[in-house]
Amino acid sequence: MKLQRFLGNLAVPFIHVFLTIAAWRFGYAFRDLAAFRRRAWEALDGHDGPVIWAANHLTLWDSFLIFYAAFPFHKTFVSRRLPWSTPEHTNYYMNGGWLKRHAVRTFMYLCRCIPFIRGGEDEASVRWRQIAFEKCIWVVENGGTVFVFPEATRARNGWFDACQPKDFLGSLCLRVPNAKVLTIYLRGESQVGTTAYPAQGETFRMDAGLWDPATCPGSTARSISQGLFDRIGALQERWFAGSSMLKNCSGDDVVDLGSPLAREHFSDDGAGVDPEWAARLLTPKEAAYLRSRPLGEVFRTFWRFHAAKEAASKALAQAGIKVLPGGFSTIEVDLFTRRARHLPTLLETRLLFTDDDEDKLHCVACLRGGALGDAQNPGDVLWKVVEVPPGESPSETAREACLELIASSSDDIPSSACLCFTEIDDIPRVVRHGKAQDWGVSISHSGRYAACSFMVS
Amino acid sequence: MAFKRKEAVVEAVDLNSITPQDAEKRIILGVKKYATNEANWSRADRNTPYLGHVIGMGIESANLADITMSIERQFLTRKTKKVPVAGSETEFTLEDGELGKLRILEGQDSVMATPGLTLQKLMELGHMPADLAYLEGVASFATSVTVGAGYRLNDALLKTISRFRVLTGPERAQAKANLESLSTQAKDYETLIGDPAALAASKANDFETDKASLTALNNELAIVNEKLKGVTSDDPSRTASLRSEETQIRTRLRMMLQKLTVSEEAVRGAGARKAVDQAKYDEVAQILAKTVRQAQDCLAEAPVGG
Repeated sequence: MKLQRFLGNLAVPFIHVFLTIAAWRFGYAFRDLAAFRRRAWEALDGHDGPVIWAANHLTLWDSFLIFYAAFPFHKTFVSRRLPWSTPEHTNYYMNGGWLKRHAVRTFMYLCRCIPFIRGGEDEASVRWRQIAFEKCIWVVENGGTVFVFPEATRARNGWFDACQPKDFLGSLCLRVPNAKVLTIYLRGESQVGTTAYPAQGETFRMDAGLWDPATCPGSTARSISQGLFDRIGALQERWFAGSSMLKNCSGDDVVDLGSPLAREHFSDDGAGVDPEWAARLLTPKEAAYLRSRPLGEVFRTFWRFHAAKEAASKALAQAGIKVLPGGFSTIEVDLFTRRARHLPTLLETRLLFTDDDEDKLHCVACLRGGALGDAQNPGDVLWKVVEVPPGESPSETAREACLELIASSSDDIPSSACLCFTEIDDIPRVVRHGKAQDWGVSISHSGRYAACSFMVS
Repeated sequence: MAFKRKEAVVEAVDLNSITPQDAEKRIILGVKKYATNEANWSRADRNTPYLGHVIGMGIESANLADITMSIERQFLTRKTKKVPVAGSETEFTLEDGELGKLRILEGQDSVMATPGLTLQKLMELGHMPADLAYLEGVASFATSVTVGAGYRLNDALLKTISRFRVLTGPERAQAKANLESLSTQAKDYETLIGDPAALAASKANDFETDKASLTALNNELAIVNEKLKGVTSDDPSRTASLRSEETQIRTRLRMMLQKLTVSEEAVRGAGARKAVDQAKYDEVAQILAKTVRQAQDCLAEAPVGG
C-alpha cells in the first residue's frame, strides 16, 4: 500500500492531464466547475483529519469524473487528499487480452485503486471484501482519503434511494471516528439511468458538502449510513431542482377484471390463456411464470403483469423513455420482487398493487423521485380508484378524480378548481399558478373504473 | 380449450385480391368491439387513430394486441415462409410461400396507428401491392401523433375555459394564471405545427434520446466482449455467464433499434408533408386558434376579483 501510494503520488499529475485530455476528447463539460472546486476545498481545508468521499453512482467512469471535478491540478500534490478508489474487480481487472489487461491494471494501480468483489457469498469473495475493507481502514487511519460509492452498485433506476442505506460506510466511519464524509452528487444533464459511460458531449452538474458523522444521532453503522444517505439524497433533490428533467416519475394503471374484454382471451374458467395473444404481451420469462401459477390464479396474474407494464411505461415516459404503443414485451415484470424492468435501458421501476380485489386491479409504478412505501411506511405516491358514473367520460372522470385528490392532499390548494390538466411531450401534467408541476401525475381507466396517482415528494 | 375470440368466425381474404379501400373497411369493422368512442368509430376513415378519445376510436392500450390480431385474422398473404435472420436464433423474416394467415411480427405494428398506416405498412412489407393513389390520402405517423397531441391540447384548453367561467374569488385568480398558461401553450403549438422544420427539430429530442440509448448499449456490448477476451480458459462458468449477457444485450439492441426506427420516422415525417398531412395540420391549427381566441376573450371580458 505504501509503495502504491508513493507511485500514485508520482503519477497523479500525469493522470490529471490525461483526464483533462479525455474530458476534452469526449466533449465533456462541467458546469460551474471553479465554484464547485472552491466550495469543496473550503470545506476540505477546514478539516485536518481523514476524509471519506461518498457519491452517487451511474456510470463506470464516475470515479474519474468526480476526481477530475473536485481536484484542480495544483491540489494533486496534496497526497493525503488524493482519494483511494474502490472499483469492482470484475469491471476493470479482467478486460481484454494480455496487453490491455496489464495496461488497465497498471493504470488502476497508479490511480490508487483498491479493487472490490461486491457479488458472491463464497469464502473467497467474503475474504476479498474483508481485506479490501481493512485496506480502506488503513488509508483513513493514516489520514488519507477513500472514495466509496455507498450504494455499492450503479442505481438501476437512475435514482439515489436514500431509503435503502447500506452499512459499509457506517462501519467505516465507526472504525475511524475522526473521519468526515465529503458527500457528492454528480450527474450528466441527460443521464436518465445507468450506462457504461456518459454520452459524448455531456454536461455535468455537481454538488458537494462535508458531513461529520459525529453529528449523527445514534451510533450504529446503520444510523450513520442512513444519515449519510439522507445527505446525498438532499444533494440529489437540489440537483433535480436545477434540471430540465422531471424528478418525479411514476405511473398507474387500472384494470376492470369484470369487463368481458378482459376475459376474451381466457378459457371460461380463467385457467387457460390464448398462448398466441399472451406471447404478444409477455416476455418468455413472464410466460413461464404464468404457466407455473395454479389454474385459479392465471387470469389475475396475467392482468397483474399487464397493469404493471402499463404503469411502468407511464413512469418511464416521464423520464423521457417512451415505450412504443404495444411494446409491452420490452418491459419485464417480476411480481415477486415487485419490479418492472425496461429491457432496452435496464431502468427499473418499483411496483405496488393498491386495489386488488375480485372486480379490479390497480398498480402504481415509481421510477424515481420518491418511495412507494409499504404497510409500515407511507410512501410518496398517492392514488385513487373510482367508479365511472354512468354516461360520464372515463378519461374525464380520471382527470377530475386526480385534481380532487391533489387538492385534498395539500392545505395550500383551496380546491381542485385552482388546478388544470395539460400535456407536455405526451405526458399529462397538472398546472398550478400557471406552471406545469413536477408531480408525476398519471391517469388511467378501464371499463367501469377510472384511477389516478401522483407524487407528493 | 375454447377461447371466446374464436367464437367470432371471420372469413380471411387474400390481401392481393382486394382493394386497400375494402381492406380498410374490414380493419375498421374488425376493431369495433374494442372501440369505446362509438361516434368517432362510426365515422372512422383511413386516418382515424385507433387510440385516444378526442379524435380516435377510443380503443384502450390494453387492446393494442387485439387490434393486431384482429387484422391478422382477416387477411391472407403469400409472405408466409419463415427465413431465419442471420446471427439470431429467434428472429426471422417472412418471404414468399404458400398462401396463409397474415402474420405481423413484433415491432412491425409500432407505427400502425391508423387503418391507413396499417395498410401502408402491409404494402411496405410486401403483403399487398403498393397503391400510390391510396397512400396519397394516408396521413403520416408523425402527423397522426402531432395532430392528436394538438387536439388533446385543444380539449384541455376548452375544459380550462369552462372551469374558469364559473369561478369566483381567489379560485378565479389562480385559475386565470392556468388559463393564460394553457392559452400560451396552445398558441405556441399552433406556431410550431405551422413550421415543418421547427416541428422536426422538436421531435428530434426523442430520436436523440433513443440514439444515445443505442450508443450506450453498444458500449455495454463492447465491454462484455472485452471481458470475454479477458476470461482465462479454466473459467467456463464465467464464459457462459458473459455469453448469456452478450445475448441479452443483442436482444436489447434489437428492441432499441425498433424504437429508433420509429423515432426516426417521426422526425422525418414531421419535416415532410403531403397534401393530406398539411390539411390535418391546418385543421388542428384553425381549431387551436379559435380556442385561443375564446380563451383570450374570456380573460379580457371577465376581470379577476378577490
